[in-house]
Amino acid sequence: MKMYTATIPGSALKVRSRESYYARQKRLFVLLVILVAIIPLLFISWTASHFYQKSWLDKTTVELTSLANSRREIIDLFLDSQENILAGYAELYDLAWLSTPGNLEKLFKAMNHQGVIVDLGLIAKDGSHRSYTGPFAADLKDKNYAATRWFAEVMQNGRYISDVFTGYRAVPHFIVAVTDPTRSWVLRATINSELFNALLASAEVGPGGDAFILNRQDELQTPSRQGLTALPAGEKGLLATGGGLTIHHSQGALYATTGMKNNAWTLVLKTDIATSLADFYRARQRDHLIIACAALLILAVSTFLVRSMMNKVEGADQQRMLLYDRIRYSEKMALIGRMAANVAHEINNPLQIIGDQAGWLDELLSEEDPANLKNTEEYRIAFAKIKAQVKRASTITHRLLGFSRSTDGLKSATKINTLVEETVSFLEKEAANHRIAIRRNLGSGLPEITTDTTQLQQVFLNILNNAFDAIGNDGAVTISTRLDGKQLAVEFADSGPGLPEEVLKKVFEPFFTTKKAGSGTGIGLAISYSIVERLGGSIEVRNGMQGGCVFRVNLPVAA
Amino acid sequence: MDDIKILLVDDEEDFIRTLSERLDLRDMGSKTALNGEQALGYVGEKEPDVMVLDLKMPGIDGMEVLRRVRQIYPNIQVIIQTGHGNDLDEAEARRLGVFDYLKKPVDIEILVERIKAAHQAKKNLLDSSAAAAAFAEAGEYETARDMLKQ
Repeated sequence: MKMYTATIPGSALKVRSRESYYARQKRLFVLLVILVAIIPLLFISWTASHFYQKSWLDKTTVELTSLANSRREIIDLFLDSQENILAGYAELYDLAWLSTPGNLEKLFKAMNHQGVIVDLGLIAKDGSHRSYTGPFAADLKDKNYAATRWFAEVMQNGRYISDVFTGYRAVPHFIVAVTDPTRSWVLRATINSELFNALLASAEVGPGGDAFILNRQDELQTPSRQGLTALPAGEKGLLATGGGLTIHHSQGALYATTGMKNNAWTLVLKTDIATSLADFYRARQRDHLIIACAALLILAVSTFLVRSMMNKVEGADQQRMLLYDRIRYSEKMALIGRMAANVAHEINNPLQIIGDQAGWLDELLSEEDPANLKNTEEYRIAFAKIKAQVKRASTITHRLLGFSRSTDGLKSATKINTLVEETVSFLEKEAANHRIAIRRNLGSGLPEITTDTTQLQQVFLNILNNAFDAIGNDGAVTISTRLDGKQLAVEFADSGPGLPEEVLKKVFEPFFTTKKAGSGTGIGLAISYSIVERLGGSIEVRNGMQGGCVFRVNLPVAA
Repeated sequence: MDDIKILLVDDEEDFIRTLSERLDLRDMGSKTALNGEQALGYVGEKEPDVMVLDLKMPGIDGMEVLRRVRQIYPNIQVIIQTGHGNDLDEAEARRLGVFDYLKKPVDIEILVERIKAAHQAKKNLLDSSAAAAAFAEAGEYETARDMLKQ
């Protein structure tokens, strides 16, 4: 149902552009929330994870470095000590003593306190075993080493430590060999390389990590913790064999390599970043999930808050716009009213003079000799017409003066239902003439209001007359009164045809009339409007549910 | 017919001259004043019975003339004839004791009738005050007061 107390053309357009304004504001606020709440959250989470990873990497690098150094030293020390013990024996004893059965066994026992020596052999210059002690006597007794590379090397350099090999037995081992000072025989010991394995196995390189020794051919000298049998092709280039300590940081792993045993071997320690950080990654994933949830929650809550806030603002703005429209409309009406009253005032004097002059001429006519006047009767008719038109004009100006009427000091306590009944009684005859029924639906227990009874009655008369004109013949007007909040509402619903919306908008404007020219001045409703406004109330018109117009007068009830 | 002394006060010269002549036609002599000062001057010289007064005039306006006349010459009957007055003016004029308040344009016959009525009222007033004076002289103060109240 549309009300036309305050409708300004073009305000619908304004509301539309305002809607996009509110949408823009909403977006802006949500964006701000994202900026000030979510982005720092994401930033903190990212930096925390980044710095944790970096510090872990730094710490692990340090650990790996010290681990590599300590393992290298231990192994080098071990190799040196084995070599030195053997060299000491070679200097201490001569071939004859060593060849004497039982003596080699004594040495073996002396050296093998720690259980690292597998066997011990005395080899003559020609490469044949002069004496042997160990578990593989049967296999090795008749073996000749003259053609082997290690034998040549030891004879040339005096000392030799081999790579790890499985040899004739399926046990990984390496040999340490030394010659006597005259280089006429060789003392050779087989060392169980599982000791290295144990040394490397105790290295803390974390899950997915590895620790092994490579020879110059990149062959594994100790078992890989990850079960590698050969160095993966991808890692071959990465690892500088031999040389000082090097840290290499590849995609998924951190490597520490260092040369050992005079750079014949390379110790490789590897920490798998992904596996070591798995817990951290899991925790980070959980954090990310929590942060994402928090961000979503913030977004949802802020969107909701912004929306409800903006809706409230929009509602308040619309309310204010409506109020503003209402005020503008009533100001416009007041201005029109004042203008109309002023015009009426100014016109009354000339009207008086016109009427008087015509009247005077009429009177002077009586003094003339009718014989000299041919058109006496026409003159009289013309004067009468002038008088009639002056009267007609003055009726309008006197009604217009209603706009300037004030209500100060003329208010009295009024029972609205009594006033309605009294007003209706004035029109009962006319209603009956046009077969219009007047129905009353008057509320009971309504409070008295303090108002200008006479003027309010004029408003009711104007509205009722208007309704009668709208109905013509046969119909009904329903008058209802009731208390609506702090207002007393009086509604006049007629059974007429109703009015198109364009007309509804203009119904309260002065001189607007739908009646035939001459039958209505178009002032009644305009005056009613200004009267009700002055009485502190409001007047509205709408088309009723069952057709016809409904005029509603709201009157303030004194607090 | 009694000779009624009438003073017409209006700043519209056309209006007031015609009105005066039309009253002449009806054997009612009248004097005219074009503003408040003239009107008060005339009243000072020769007190009229009935004064037809416009409200809106330059200088001393009708309401002020009315106020002074009612103060100094309470016996003069004043009829306001105006095109400008609003209901507040009317209420004020009636409070000051005008005989009648007419809105322009006014039909000459109505004006004549009101002037005659005003004249009659003045005579009654004078009669009753004379009677009241007689009663008062006789010591009937209460009766005299009642008569003046009417």
